[in-house]
Amino acid sequence: MIEFELNGQPVVFNGASDTPLLWAIRDHFKLKGSKFGCGAGLCGACTMHVDSTAMRTCILPVAAVAGKRITTIEGLSGDGLHPLQAAWVEHNVPQCGYCQSGQIMSAAALLSSNPRATTDDIDQALAGNICRCGCYPRIKEAILSVAELSYDATTEETSA
Amino acid sequence: MSIRNVSRRRFLKLGATAGGGLIIGVNLPGCSFSGALPIEQESDGFIPHAFLQITPDNQVIFYCPSDEMGQGVRTGLATIIGEELDFHPRDMVVKAAGLHEDYANPEFGVQATGGSNAVRVFWGPLRQAGADTRALLLNAAAQDLGVSASELTTDNGYIIVGDDRFPYGDFVTTAAQLAMPTETPLKSNASFKYIGNEFSRVDALAKSTGAAEFGIDADIPGMVYAVVVRAPVAGARVLSVDKTAAEAMPGVVAIVPVSSGIAVVANAYWRAKNAAQVLEISWEDIPLGQVSSAQVRTDFEAALAEGDTVEASTQGELVAGFDAASSTLEADYFAPFLAHTPLEPVNATLHITDNSAELWTGVQSIQGAQGLVERLTGLPRSNIRVNNLYLGGGFGRRGTLTHIVEVTEIAMAIDKPVQLLWSREDDIRNGLYRPASLMRIKAGVTTDGIVSAWDVQRAGGNITADTLTNMLPALLPSLPSSLLNGLSGFAEYLFSQWTVDPSSVEGLHETYDFENHRIAHATVDHGLPLTFWRSVGHSYTAFAVESMMDELADRAGIDPMSLRLANTENKPRMHGVLQTAQAAMKSMTVPDGHHLGIAAHSSFATDVAEIAEVSIENGEIRVHKVTCVADVGTAINPDIVRAQLEGAVMFGLTATLYGRIDLDQGEVKQSNFHDYQILRMDRAPAVDVILVNSGGDPTGIGEPGVPPIAPAVANAVFKATGQRLRELPLKLA
Ligand code: FES
Ligand code: FES
Repeated sequence: MIEFELNGQPVVFNGASDTPLLWAIRDHFKLKGSKFGCGAGLCGACTMHVDSTAMRTCILPVAAVAGKRITTIEGLSGDGLHPLQAAWVEHNVPQCGYCQSGQIMSAAALLSSNPRATTDDIDQALAGNICRCGCYPRIKEAILSVAELSYDATTEETSA
Repeated sequence: MSIRNVSRRRFLKLGATAGGGLIIGVNLPGCSFSGALPIEQESDGFIPHAFLQITPDNQVIFYCPSDEMGQGVRTGLATIIGEELDFHPRDMVVKAAGLHEDYANPEFGVQATGGSNAVRVFWGPLRQAGADTRALLLNAAAQDLGVSASELTTDNGYIIVGDDRFPYGDFVTTAAQLAMPTETPLKSNASFKYIGNEFSRVDALAKSTGAAEFGIDADIPGMVYAVVVRAPVAGARVLSVDKTAAEAMPGVVAIVPVSSGIAVVANAYWRAKNAAQVLEISWEDIPLGQVSSAQVRTDFEAALAEGDTVEASTQGELVAGFDAASSTLEADYFAPFLAHTPLEPVNATLHITDNSAELWTGVQSIQGAQGLVERLTGLPRSNIRVNNLYLGGGFGRRGTLTHIVEVTEIAMAIDKPVQLLWSREDDIRNGLYRPASLMRIKAGVTTDGIVSAWDVQRAGGNITADTLTNMLPALLPSLPSSLLNGLSGFAEYLFSQWTVDPSSVEGLHETYDFENHRIAHATVDHGLPLTFWRSVGHSYTAFAVESMMDELADRAGIDPMSLRLANTENKPRMHGVLQTAQAAMKSMTVPDGHHLGIAAHSSFATDVAEIAEVSIENGEIRVHKVTCVADVGTAINPDIVRAQLEGAVMFGLTATLYGRIDLDQGEVKQSNFHDYQILRMDRAPAVDVILVNSGGDPTGIGEPGVPPIAPAVANAVFKATGQRLRELPLKLA
């Protein structure tokens, strides 16, 4: 029996403790927004936040998250859209859309630790997320637009 | 029956729906999915025809006949019908159409998506459907309001009379009683409101919140999970199986033989996958088991040396053309086998009950998927429901439906709903591939830069025979297997001995004038399964043609752009694209150490030129920026067109820099993204798209951006290093 917090709610998982977190979330908790792309930590489609850090959950046994806070794409924004999700729509980012939950979760983790992320920061933080449709230029623009917003906000606060 | 028969586009059938609405279908002779439309009645919605439902509260639902795999087809087709209906596509509810003959692709004659043709072939029928429906609503409003229809106009879902606005939904009850107008005049291009505008894709929000449902997301109560162990050498059959160890693994429910190998069914996917790894299977030896990568190219070279080719196209006088040339060159270009690797691995979920079946998947032909379930289960077609969810990438891979055969065989054996998922390793090792190709070009150029002789031979496998083998059983479910085997065997014979499979040689000369040319073909098929791969034959022919054009320019001392302009005098659309590219190039500032390479290619009725800005850093080819100039005719939503071209550049760059499937004794060596690399964010160039609109109807956007990128980069590498790389993926010496 493994207890952890899933999108703000305490949950209990009774299945095998070596179940990869991705499958526990998808098939037991029925949250299907996180995707399977490689099963080997190579594509980022399964990215979730474990205590605010972006992790590849296809290779993370559920036992490893006991007592931790898990956030999936479904829990990224309490109400309405996360600024990144709004930027994704605004920049018409998704094509097939399959990688995008993972991309957004990686981007959100980056911006929460580094709100003024630069192009290089984005390249580094997102290099683990494959987009086979090749949405990279738009993903980058969308993240930068949110990073610049926070940059503007911070500047205003300082100048106020 | 011609599949291009224009009369198919006319609205002919009239009948009544259960909901009291009118039902009208595009008449598509030869299709066999007639009967009630697969549309669920929404709150007394009016269903004027297969594509629309309009509810009394003015909701417009569009049933999209083409499969959304990222290309933006739901938005594009909604925009086309919305333009004439006068209803903003952004405000429509867009759903995947169910299976019905009215949704058949007018060019294919079956309900399928591919060949970058959806917007092009539905452009006429959907505009007409929208215009006729709007005219019907005007007639209904005129009757209800007691005015003449000529006093009425519309504005985005509202009928306007004087200062009053009435939602379309107010008139659907009356509309359902009236006759549908036909051949209503269409709008002029100049009066388009939505076409040519940019707004977010209709699926952008769902695909940014995790809400979009893909095939893999289907979840049926009580379902079990299956993986299949397939032959390491494609096509080999199982000789014997030792299931003891696998059966003892936790969670295993059943182990069942299927036509492609052995399926392991468990109570979780990862458990099925673990158990599959300890299954011991011995496989028969087949000839492909002798083939390794090096031999593939050697065999192609041998075939060309023997000269055993079939002519695909000839024009003019080659001998005279070579005589007129001031320089002559000959070179071989090679492209490897490639896998598609859509990010969502193929999968299917099937629930068979006593006399019906329901399938959830994401494929490029739901008609084919239904046909396979029908063929294998023997259930009546009308009792087989197919839910085609979003496709997590297609690229040609989801046109082949072997996974539907597998899931049906498993579901029939175990009497439970089952979800079959291919692992990434399965996808890379056991799939179908872009054929490897050797292209030998001998060409002559005059001092004026006219290519006066162009002699090309291509050696490699053909995709059409394999495609028929896979598609015929699906599309003709009641035809006996013996006849099918005969047909696909005949196709194989036909294309190797008598005529050339068009997709094997497409793009070898069509971009240019080339008045004296000969295209010949030698079929060399090692038995690895082959299929369409985004841009099909163009994906390798453009590399050969555009590399040779650059070599000729260099040899003749002519600027590569001028050479291309000189040879497109009779190809005005491409000529215009090149002129725009030339102007763009002139205004570029190129940093020190960076070099530009250009390439151009026409495919899927679209003309594209790409300029790649490349440098060499620590021995690595780095692509910094790509300028993509394209003429797609009328761009329905220019931002989606740009997105497709950006994505095509990335897709093509993966093949340019990394892509290769190698065979070792017939087995595919690569297995996951560590050894089958995909371009990543830190290597993705900026892409600047310039759309040239020469007017005219819309042409393909999903594929045509792919072909020019490999040669554009190779040509830039030549400028940077003097190395002429004639094999993909590009590797510096
Ligand atoms: S599915 Fe987890 S990294 Fe690819
Ligand atoms: S949008 Fe298709 S994989 Fe990224």
